[in-house]
Amino acid sequence: MKIAVCIKRVADSETRVKIAADGKSLDEAGVKFIINPYDEFAVEEALRRKEQAGTGEVVVIACGSGTSQETIRTALAMGADRGVLLETATMSADGLVVARMLAAELKDGGYDLILFGKMAIDDYNHQVGPMTAELLGLPCVTCVAHLELAAGNGTAEREVEGGMEEVEFPLPAVLTVDKGLNEPRYPALKGIMAAKKKPLEVKPATLGAPGLEVLAMTPPPERKEGRIVGEGAAAIPALLKLLREEAKVL
Amino acid sequence: MSDVLAVLEQRDGVLRKVSHEVVTGSRRLADALGGEVHALVCAGGAVSGTEAAGRHGADKIITATNAGFAQYAPEGYARTIVERAQAGGYGAVVCAASAQGKDLAPRVAARLGCPLAADITDLGVDGGAVIVTRPVYAGKALLKVKVVAKPAVLSLRPNVFTPVERPKAGAAETSAVSGDGGRVVVKGIKAAAAGALDVAEAPIVVSGGRGLKEPANFKLLEELAQAFGGRAAVGASRAVVDAGWRPHGDQVGQTGKTVSPSLYIAVGISGAIQHLAGMRTAKVIVAINKDKDAPIFKIADYGVVGDLFEIVPQLTSEIRRLTSA
Amino acid sequence: MIPSQYQPTLPLDQLILQKGAAGAGDSMELDVLFVGAGPAGLAGAIELARLAKADPAVGELNIGVLEKAEALGEHSLSGAAVNPIALRELFPDLSEQELPLRGRVEREAVYLLTSGSSVRLPTPPTMKNHGNYIASICEIVRWLGGKAEALGINVFTGFPAAALLKDGDRVAGVRTAATGLGRDGQPLASYAAPNDLTARVTALSEGTRGLLSQAWLQWQGVPSENPQIFALGVKEIWETKRPLDRVIHTMGWPLPSDAFGGTFCYPLAPNLVAIGIVVGLDYQNAALDIHVLLQRLKGHPLFRPHLEGGEMVEWGAKTIPEGGYYALPARRSGDGVVLLGDAAGFVDVPSLKGIHYAMHSGIYAARTIFNALKAGDTGAAALSHYDRLVNDSYIVRDLYRTRNMRLAFKDGFTAGGFKAGLMTLSGGRFPRGRIAMHADADAARREEAVASFTPDGKLTFSKVDGVFKSGNTTRDTIPTHLVVGAEVPAEVARFYSHVCPAGVYEEVDGRLRVNAPNCIDCKATDVLGPRWTPREGGSGPKYKQM
Repeated sequence: MKIAVCIKRVADSETRVKIAADGKSLDEAGVKFIINPYDEFAVEEALRRKEQAGTGEVVVIACGSGTSQETIRTALAMGADRGVLLETATMSADGLVVARMLAAELKDGGYDLILFGKMAIDDYNHQVGPMTAELLGLPCVTCVAHLELAAGNGTAEREVEGGMEEVEFPLPAVLTVDKGLNEPRYPALKGIMAAKKKPLEVKPATLGAPGLEVLAMTPPPERKEGRIVGEGAAAIPALLKLLREEAKVL
Repeated sequence: MSDVLAVLEQRDGVLRKVSHEVVTGSRRLADALGGEVHALVCAGGAVSGTEAAGRHGADKIITATNAGFAQYAPEGYARTIVERAQAGGYGAVVCAASAQGKDLAPRVAARLGCPLAADITDLGVDGGAVIVTRPVYAGKALLKVKVVAKPAVLSLRPNVFTPVERPKAGAAETSAVSGDGGRVVVKGIKAAAAGALDVAEAPIVVSGGRGLKEPANFKLLEELAQAFGGRAAVGASRAVVDAGWRPHGDQVGQTGKTVSPSLYIAVGISGAIQHLAGMRTAKVIVAINKDKDAPIFKIADYGVVGDLFEIVPQLTSEIRRLTSA
Repeated sequence: MIPSQYQPTLPLDQLILQKGAAGAGDSMELDVLFVGAGPAGLAGAIELARLAKADPAVGELNIGVLEKAEALGEHSLSGAAVNPIALRELFPDLSEQELPLRGRVEREAVYLLTSGSSVRLPTPPTMKNHGNYIASICEIVRWLGGKAEALGINVFTGFPAAALLKDGDRVAGVRTAATGLGRDGQPLASYAAPNDLTARVTALSEGTRGLLSQAWLQWQGVPSENPQIFALGVKEIWETKRPLDRVIHTMGWPLPSDAFGGTFCYPLAPNLVAIGIVVGLDYQNAALDIHVLLQRLKGHPLFRPHLEGGEMVEWGAKTIPEGGYYALPARRSGDGVVLLGDAAGFVDVPSLKGIHYAMHSGIYAARTIFNALKAGDTGAAALSHYDRLVNDSYIVRDLYRTRNMRLAFKDGFTAGGFKAGLMTLSGGRFPRGRIAMHADADAARREEAVASFTPDGKLTFSKVDGVFKSGNTTRDTIPTHLVVGAEVPAEVARFYSHVCPAGVYEEVDGRLRVNAPNCIDCKATDVLGPRWTPREGGSGPKYKQM
């Protein structure tokens, strides 16, 4: 099985967001960057599929600045075979621009399966995977939380409101994966050593013109200072009164 | 002047509630653009509840039918919407950022060759261009974005665009769509527990953390959720999901779900930043915790300090009394 | 109450294992292993890699650095006003601007505080920071780690060392902690077995109160003239509205007169201020709470105007070895092993410095190890050259000069201040001989009432807030890593709850409750009570600018 996994370097989920001087982006000073957690599920799934098949290759692809090489190395330490960085100076707020770059890289790769995380925890765009599939003309299932593959086709389950949607699809396909699909492995010491020697190709790339123009990044409105209504069950009448009359949510 | 195509959702032939939010948001946009709202729903046949789209501001409601559209058919739906969007010369195509919309909107945008402004919480028009606001970094920042493309493809975060009644003609139209549903086939939906709402969509979320002490005690929260009469879902903190007490789908927080219900009740949750990030956009937050110094009280609008095992059952019976009245 | 009566002994049988003992998953052979990616371990690894590159006699060296934090620097915490001498020696070609330092110390002031006022004192010579730099040790460590990796050194973050591997009397390497255990100690789906790393030399650069360093010293029976003693520092970083233009140190309030310590307040940037308090762990009042003292300090008129309206962005705590010269182990080397930096006790208390000593100890160790590898002998005799290099260096010279300074304060601050003054004037010659110390856990405590404290959530914070701001996201379901004594009376449980700045210990209905995931690896109760052992990699705090 030849599997591609598209990953992204993102600010750690615990990052304290400070807005940069340009007023449009994250101030990256002191920010810790990690592999997007959903992409970790994708890498893990690819490794398991390859291990089950007993043969194949897992290729990790990222777009972004040179620092994304670190992120690719993390995936290589987990066990992926090689990496490709489509090196750009910046990242685009427009997911379609990224999808076009990835599609061009994936097009003639001969992949049986192309995996993405369901979304990146920085931009919450939730779109690059299915867009890439459309550009490649491949079938796509998003937010896969359970997966079974057979020769030439597969069955997936994805979470929808109030249940799990069961989906059938032919291979090759693009899948975006959700939490719960698997438990990603920790890179082993030997994996970390081995990752240093695995091939990582850096290809200069150019971002297309974006269709989304970021005007400003602002902090969310501050919540009004809350208050303690009271202690114990005795506070319930006061709470309900506030919810009804002040907050108007009941 | 341009019209807006509102993409509605149905399940089992019934229009979904989130569709009203889409029509409401589309109406706002159409008014700013000086155009009409055309609502489109893909279905296997007639859809009940579509007349409500007229009440919320749709000038026209188109039901696109195909035998393969009874269940969600990603490729068939995308094809139908794109054909309609191109034929109608719309200024914007608006979906819900629901489970279906999150799958569908990127496909539509890619086929149109247009960007997608996803999961937006506000929209407007400035100098003819669509300007949207969307949360990033788990709601820790807001991005104001100008959409430089026509049509502007948008998806609206559920529970943000409160449905407003703005009656319009709501002329119904049905058109049979040729072709099939596509290569990706939805076989059905395995229901979660009967009537259970998803935490990401429920207008009320009751969430539990380690303070519940053991998984069996989540029954208290399930009872509280039920007392709200089917409008509430039960969520969970990362700690209890990691502990295997609750399924991953219930987790609220950055690597779980971001929720924006009208009412969020945090029970026995201390309030790790991870969790706060996932629920800070809730309209009203109530916290019940025995530790008055718990960080959750810093973000909660209303806090009750005390033993949840005493407070929650009593709250449940009070709510039950209110909702049955 | 004597804390040592309730303290479990060091579990040597778990901390020192026979090489090849059952239970490991992967094993890996290295030439040299540094345990702990702090200034000592990284400086040592860098110097060693450079020596090997310059002199092909030993061939390519396989050098590893183990670090328990998830990412470099996340468990490092210091003041810090840094003497750049070691950074300059290690990177002679770099300009000052290229080194990982913030601003040069231009202005400094020392104050004696009372609860409502401050009196400026002349800066004691030992505390003068002329030529030193404000720095974040997190930033220094991240930067050194980058340099190390560029030299081909393997830096393994997220791998705590849990046991020494022995081969006879020789240290043969370490075993790492297992990952993915449930609360009951049983493997989860994510379980990863411990790894054995063997090396020709193991350099223990674990930092303050190093677990394996303690185990090795005890196993080998290496004495010191005085037992090592510790202080606990609690520190916050604030983004302020009002800039701070000087380094401030204070003495006196809010410390009681029977406690040794002081406070510091440094500008990392004009509007980014570090404020902290350091208190010796031999204080007498069992109800003393160092986290609470820091909260009170911020309300003092000297600090409040700077902090008010600002935002506390980071919180952390760590112990500091304060025993100085007389607490140094008689040897810091043995068969296949050397001890570096804080793990060996290279800290000068009067000048409040240790980072440059740590780095230099790493450099001296690297030179010794390189020669030993070249000669094909890494036994105790060959590695004892490291002790000679350190003893002949400014490290031991500095520590000798101030040998009795901290010890003078064992009977309280007023008498101590007088004696310390005489010592400074006499260049360390007063008093003659050594002031004997007992270990912190042997210092008797009595419980005295202290004023209750309620944080306001703006200027002052609870311990839970602190843990939250330390970035600690330890999995809630890990097995407890703290070894508690069999019988802990209520009085002792309360003592632990005050000692621990992170709210790990609580006294509930007369019994001790342990909230292990709160632990931020400061080691304070390891000094005075329950023993600390490592848990799965990546647990604990995630300091960014500490």
